[in-house]
Amino acid sequence: MTRYGISRRAALLGTGGAVASFAIGGRAFGQAPAVVFGALPPLTGAGGPYGPAMLRAIQGVVEEANAAGGIRGRQIRVVAEDDQTNPDAGVRGARKLIDVDRVTALMGTWASSVTTAVAPLCWENRIPLFTVSGADSITLLPHQGFIFRTQPNSRLQIATGADFLIRQGARRIFHLAAQSPFAQSSQDVLLEKFRAVQGGAVAGYIVYERDKTAFRSEVDQILRARVDTVFLNGYLPDVTILLRELFRAGFEGRRFTPAYAVNQTTFQTLPNEVTNGVVTWQPSPDVNSGAFRRLQTRFGNVEVDPYSAQTHDHATLAILAAAQAGDASGVAIRDHVRRIASGQGEVVDNVADGLRLINAGRAVNFDGASGPVDFDDRGDIRGTKFRYERAENGRFVVMEIT
Amino acid sequence: MADWRDLLQVLVNGLMTGSVLMLPAIGFSCIFAVLRYPNFAVAGFATVGAFAGWVANVQWGLPVGLALLAAFLVAGAVGLAAEETALKPLRPAGPLTVAIASVALTLLLENILRFVFANDLRGYDLPVLRDWRFEGIRINPQQAMNVGYAVAAASALFALLAFTRLGRAMRAVADNPALADIKGVDPGRIARVAVFLGAGLAGFGGMLIGLDTSIDPLTGFRVILSVFAAAVVGGLGSIPGAALGALVVGVGEEMASVLLSPAYRTVTAFLAILLVLTIRPEGLLGRRG
Amino acid sequence: MEAYLTAMLVFAGIYALMALGLNVIWGLTGMVNLGLVGFFAVGAYASALLTKYWLWPMPLGWAAAGLAAALAGAVMAVIVARLRGDYLAIVTLGFAEVVRIVASNEVWLTNGTDGISGIPGPWRGAVSPQAFNLIFLGIVWAAVGIAFLLLARASHSPFGRVLRAVREDEEVAAVAGKPVLWFKLRAFCLGAAVLGLAGALYAHYNAYIAPEGFAPLLTIYIVLALTAGGVGAMRGAVLGALIVLLLLEGTRFLAQEIPGVTPVQKAALRESIIALSLILLLRVRPQGLIPERTRTRASP
Repeated sequence: MTRYGISRRAALLGTGGAVASFAIGGRAFGQAPAVVFGALPPLTGAGGPYGPAMLRAIQGVVEEANAAGGIRGRQIRVVAEDDQTNPDAGVRGARKLIDVDRVTALMGTWASSVTTAVAPLCWENRIPLFTVSGADSITLLPHQGFIFRTQPNSRLQIATGADFLIRQGARRIFHLAAQSPFAQSSQDVLLEKFRAVQGGAVAGYIVYERDKTAFRSEVDQILRARVDTVFLNGYLPDVTILLRELFRAGFEGRRFTPAYAVNQTTFQTLPNEVTNGVVTWQPSPDVNSGAFRRLQTRFGNVEVDPYSAQTHDHATLAILAAAQAGDASGVAIRDHVRRIASGQGEVVDNVADGLRLINAGRAVNFDGASGPVDFDDRGDIRGTKFRYERAENGRFVVMEIT
Repeated sequence: MADWRDLLQVLVNGLMTGSVLMLPAIGFSCIFAVLRYPNFAVAGFATVGAFAGWVANVQWGLPVGLALLAAFLVAGAVGLAAEETALKPLRPAGPLTVAIASVALTLLLENILRFVFANDLRGYDLPVLRDWRFEGIRINPQQAMNVGYAVAAASALFALLAFTRLGRAMRAVADNPALADIKGVDPGRIARVAVFLGAGLAGFGGMLIGLDTSIDPLTGFRVILSVFAAAVVGGLGSIPGAALGALVVGVGEEMASVLLSPAYRTVTAFLAILLVLTIRPEGLLGRRG
Repeated sequence: MEAYLTAMLVFAGIYALMALGLNVIWGLTGMVNLGLVGFFAVGAYASALLTKYWLWPMPLGWAAAGLAAALAGAVMAVIVARLRGDYLAIVTLGFAEVVRIVASNEVWLTNGTDGISGIPGPWRGAVSPQAFNLIFLGIVWAAVGIAFLLLARASHSPFGRVLRAVREDEEVAAVAGKPVLWFKLRAFCLGAAVLGLAGALYAHYNAYIAPEGFAPLLTIYIVLALTAGGVGAMRGAVLGALIVLLLLEGTRFLAQEIPGVTPVQKAALRESIIALSLILLLRVRPQGLIPERTRTRASP
């Protein structure tokens, strides 16, 4: 962390900082000071259903890494702040993590608005930002390589999903989207894909406010449109209600939704007869990979939601990059992420194996819980596969991985 | 929208939506009528009721009817406790101060629930029933039952106000506190009853909302503006007005969803408030002054 | 640490400006305004759009922000002029939500939920980040100082006295021959303009605004600031803003030290402490920490 000279004003403020520094405390285990990473998940607000699991995934990886000796003998500490799913609160939380806790990597931001607000702070302070936010504009920011986005570009995700649906025989589709940065781009891709097919059409497109709780009229329109497939492009709270409403109305068609909108808690909220047959999709490691096997075992055979899979990868990437560089500073991590995430090294799917190999001087190629995590120049992932699952009696069954 | 049936369906949908807003709106107006301040914590009471009903239904295995009763009682108790400890001491400072405190109170309730239950969505232990169809109009039996519960609860309140001594005393205090005091009505006791009933009804309504949507700390908060719209449109302090206002707002929101865009649902609620207040500043059934 | 404290002081300054603006509308004139975040958003968007897409110089953008917000304030004033306090609270709350929803949906104007990024800042990029921070700190608190002086003067002027009369008893003021609606309108415009300016400064400091950032919670913080500081007195608004920020950030460190609770519970505790503090503050000092010195003789 470079300082640009200490002015008198900063010195005065610095004394205030000394008073508050009791809360920071980088306690050293053994000889070397701890490596500090920052997490900024949504623990309250609209993202509240997702944040806690995302944070737990990060903490799990860090514990595993510390047990394996840490980053070249240095233990790792994670400091978490709630972003309240609000860019204003997110910025204040990020400033505290960056300036007070001196984190050398920031991970786990969820809302696109929070990520976009926090990104300039990260690149100005030369810290990498690992995010799950989907808005396309994020990687287009002038981030000098400091942004790593593990969520596939939304256009890619929707295009792949549309291809899958068409393969499955979908022809008339209704697009129901929650207000978000990628509602319109999803619609554009759907139109392109479905119009190119014989008999294909996007028979309806509705964008609704995220807090909406009544969807009767929307379901009426879906029924009237006589579609074979409905695409529920929303989030956990609204899609839960929509599934119930569609069941009540006797909709017999295909229901397709992102995996983050229907997860284990949905099976506890809705009876099986309502959820049976719902198809979800999410970025995924290859079915033949160790990473995929690990997904099923390491997370205790409980379905891991797509965001937690990604934050698991965030933590692993940061740790392995720092170990590879022999330096846990933000710039070193940025420069080494691609080195350990792609390339010719031995394939690893967890942080302990990765650390072991790196300490032995060998090259690694990390394949994560959310996919091969290979990043292009802009920080987007590429070459990822997608996993399609169908809900059956309270469990997800894999249909295909392509 | 070429068919009369489509219009009727929108009307039916609106009545369903509105009936679920009815009880929190009535609770809001009930408290306002007697205590003369807008209690924004009804959103919190609704969420408390939803969770209380969940505990009763899912963890203790009680049937829906008893769970609703639990929702009413717990929310009422919480409302009363909050009133006595947090809000009543602020009354001398004026209704606006109490109103601000009630905003903070709703935040506090939301976070206490989040502390205990976390953010995960929950659902009641009930089957999901298919719609009935009459002449191409679809009505869901669950939602019809919700309407039934809401109407029953509202009717019980009307009956209480109209036919019991307690109810008459409440109306007296609402009409003219000074006169009621002279006539020997204990304003403190009436206030407590009003808060208990208002919060309880909000909680009952919260469980109905939860039955139709899902339960999490933000359940009440999501419908907050529509509830206020209903109370204002009907006339603050008028309990029949709140019921009517809820139906008006419900139908209005559904029509706006269909005619304009679902993304502007809240805007409709706001415009409804504005429209009514411009034409009739005291609301549909409210009284001047 | 210095950067963090500087940034927090910048936010405190912006909150102080907002509290000053609210004070004119509510403290002086007695019109409850729970929709102040709407004026804040209008100012932020106006300045962001003008300076980023139309390449206006920043000071002009900020002035335009104040004007745009004042216009919105005028519209709101006309709408709510005849409403009582209770209705006022609810209607103004709705206004802020409407602004946020329009901003979310009208992508052609506001870029929708994607927000507007890359908003220019005074000397951003030309100096180090910390230097930019400090420069902006100076700008914000200079604005607070100017607003404070102007508004304090207005408060003690005949204009301010009429506003107070309107606050105390509208009908008496009307009987005394004052065109109440006109005064309310001007008060709303003035307060809204200050709020809009605060929004512009916020936009240029963060370089990014999005509809999600203009949440009702912000209104509650400013109301808390005004309550903590004293409704009616300008000095109280500034002190209150500092107290609020101390509360918001202090609870962060406090919650971190509590053992044995999950992160979600810590977050919930933090928000609970903030809500409880507001209630306690109202209990202890319903007139705020710096109560307004009441005048014993109302001048015509």
